[in-house]
Amino acid sequence: MSATSVAATEQYDYDIIKKFSVMAIVWAVVGMFVGVYIASELAWPFLNFDSPYISFGRFRPVHTGAVIFGFGGSALFATSYYVVQRTCQTRLFAPGLAAFTFWGWQAVIVLAALSYVTGFSQGREYAEMEWPIDLLILFVWVAYGAVFIGTLMQRKQPHIYVANWFYLSFILVTALLHTFNNIAVPVDLFSLKSYSLFSGAQDAMTQWWYGHNAVGFFLTSAFLGMMYYFVPKHAGRPVYSYRLSIVHFWALSFMYMWVGTHHLHWTALPDWASTLGATFSIMLLLPSWGGMINGIMTLSGAWDKLRTDPIMRFMIVALSFYGMSTFEGPLMSLKDVNALSHYTDWTVGHVHSGALGWVAMIAFGSLYHMIPKLWNTQMYSVKLINAHFWLATIGTLLYITAMWISGISQGLMWRAFDDFGNLQYSFVESVAAMHPFYAMRAIGGLFFLTGMSLMAYNVYKTIRQGVRDAESAQAYSAAATA
Amino acid sequence: MADNPHHGQTQSAGAQTTGHVWDGDLQELNNPLPAWWTYTFYATMVFALVYWVIYPSWPIGKGFLPGMSTITYLNADGKEESWHWNTRAKLLKESQDAVIAQKPYYDKVAGLPYEQIGKDPELSSFVLSAGKAVFSDNCAGCHQAGGQGKVGLFPNLVDDDWLHGGGFDKINQTISKGRRGYMPPFGEALDQAQVDELAQYVFSLSGGKADPVKAGKGKELFHSQTGACYYCHGDDAKGRQVIGSANLTDKVWLWADVPGLADDAAKIGAIKKVIAGGLDKGVMPAWESRLNAEQIKLLTVYVHELGGGK
Repeated sequence: MSATSVAATEQYDYDIIKKFSVMAIVWAVVGMFVGVYIASELAWPFLNFDSPYISFGRFRPVHTGAVIFGFGGSALFATSYYVVQRTCQTRLFAPGLAAFTFWGWQAVIVLAALSYVTGFSQGREYAEMEWPIDLLILFVWVAYGAVFIGTLMQRKQPHIYVANWFYLSFILVTALLHTFNNIAVPVDLFSLKSYSLFSGAQDAMTQWWYGHNAVGFFLTSAFLGMMYYFVPKHAGRPVYSYRLSIVHFWALSFMYMWVGTHHLHWTALPDWASTLGATFSIMLLLPSWGGMINGIMTLSGAWDKLRTDPIMRFMIVALSFYGMSTFEGPLMSLKDVNALSHYTDWTVGHVHSGALGWVAMIAFGSLYHMIPKLWNTQMYSVKLINAHFWLATIGTLLYITAMWISGISQGLMWRAFDDFGNLQYSFVESVAAMHPFYAMRAIGGLFFLTGMSLMAYNVYKTIRQGVRDAESAQAYSAAATA
Repeated sequence: MADNPHHGQTQSAGAQTTGHVWDGDLQELNNPLPAWWTYTFYATMVFALVYWVIYPSWPIGKGFLPGMSTITYLNADGKEESWHWNTRAKLLKESQDAVIAQKPYYDKVAGLPYEQIGKDPELSSFVLSAGKAVFSDNCAGCHQAGGQGKVGLFPNLVDDDWLHGGGFDKINQTISKGRRGYMPPFGEALDQAQVDELAQYVFSLSGGKADPVKAGKGKELFHSQTGACYYCHGDDAKGRQVIGSANLTDKVWLWADVPGLADDAAKIGAIKKVIAGGLDKGVMPAWESRLNAEQIKLLTVYVHELGGGK
């Protein structure tokens, strides 16, 4: 049972994990930069420079694609390959396929970004890639599933560790979502343009069944898998409750599948479907919180480390934001709350409290834990990690506060009637009222991006240090044997 | 971590681990589900049940459970209709509540002559409130939210200058039937020097510092059969509202951005461009098929108030 006794670099396939980790950081910097840029375009529209290529409509999917699939996806590939090997005590199944998942996935991100700026989009949120890229994703994903499941099957441990269930559910569900959301007919074989097989309300429902489960399984279950390995590992404490992990895993997986329709309240969607979406969202609250409770209770008892260890801080703040945004989500899914929040910046703020606060923070914590282990060294600077932590936390708070204020103001202004029963504000007045908060949001994003750049520098120096140490150790042992 | 002090221990108060160990030191405690978690989870299920009873919920066969909540409203024929709760009925009811609240005011507006509407303080507040809503939805797209227009594109409605007349009837006519601003191009009928002279003269009409010699020649051209500008703009160059020709002697500019340009040469250049190229983009659509008579009447008063109408 003692996996640590053998030199880990020989025991496990680390090369592929290193590649994905580096690309996670590269895409994070790129994606967050584009995010800050489009946030600035909304506050200061001259930044469009009248160019279609960098206009908000084309840059927005570049931002979401680079952060969700580039950063988030690469971080998930990296950590899942790390976790599955270490908890199964075996090397990756089919390393050739694993290498294909790396090059294939990177190609997807680059091709998607290029197609967006040149104006090709399916117009499906978080799935804007046109059909040839969708096919490439499909191949990469099947290869990923084969590598992951193959590795699980050749495990040298009798039991499958909880983190792996979460990763596995993410891989299976993403395959399902991706396939059904992208059933489309190309205009012709040599055209990038395609049309969805579904139409009208059914198409919208398919789109949001995909959209919300992408949040649910890509950005929640998978990152809970990350949490279930790196939090107990880093804290050096056992997971708080095995039973809770099982119950909330199945409850989460079951409930999530129903809730996509809460994105379509007050539309042409049948009311019964929207009611079911709302109620399953409410019932999703506690299953979501199961992960938070298990994470926080695992950390409890190691609170002293919070004072000295910024990686631990990333983890605890990630869990807190996770708890907060999974409370906010069900609230916003109620019909009456949604009547206020729908189409406003509140939604944008909610997404970012999950994306920045939970997804990015838990990924930062995990990468800071994993990267020195991959290169067999220590992080170059703990102070920089600490600075990154504060920049990220302040940036997230600025961002979501700005969006709460602007979103709720928008909602209230749009529905405000005067004593005569007339609308009190025109739409453009609500746009004008948003300006200070759009500026504040861009500044919050800039904080987050600055922290991310510190991480990129810190990781670069760490890798250099690890490579140099390895080279001198080699030279030393060569000299010793000579 | 490699220096994990808890390696292989189960140090939580009383709780046992499941006995499995992964990756050297990963373990799981066998703690029960927190009671508050379990009961709150049940409570959310009860909440869902209640929600299903209130709103349309589970699909059954070709129908669905309609829920107990209902919405009642008056349909287009004035008859009461009652539905199980649904988004469409809610919208109809809310729109209708607003219509009912506004009806007495609209009736008053429809029944009174224009001049009387402004004299009733309550009615005049209603016109400002409803007029702003109708204006914002239909007019602000071109004339901007405050009615200030945009030089080079859309007329300003808040100044004192009216191309087609600022009386109630004229404004009503403009809104109902639309307008088309047109001026023929003179770039081929006149040579460049003549266009320049005319532009200098037009510039001087509203107090611009023009070349006196050229402006003098321009004045002659303006009133001659060659230029024939006076045909439309009038002998005094003050325009004729009957045909919508512009007054050239005030400082109000619609097509040439004279106030916005920095130096006189550029200002004159902009005027030359209009003279040589003419205009045929000044189209305002007719609104009578889109807005009803009361709304147009309301807008008429609103726009009249905006510009301190005539």
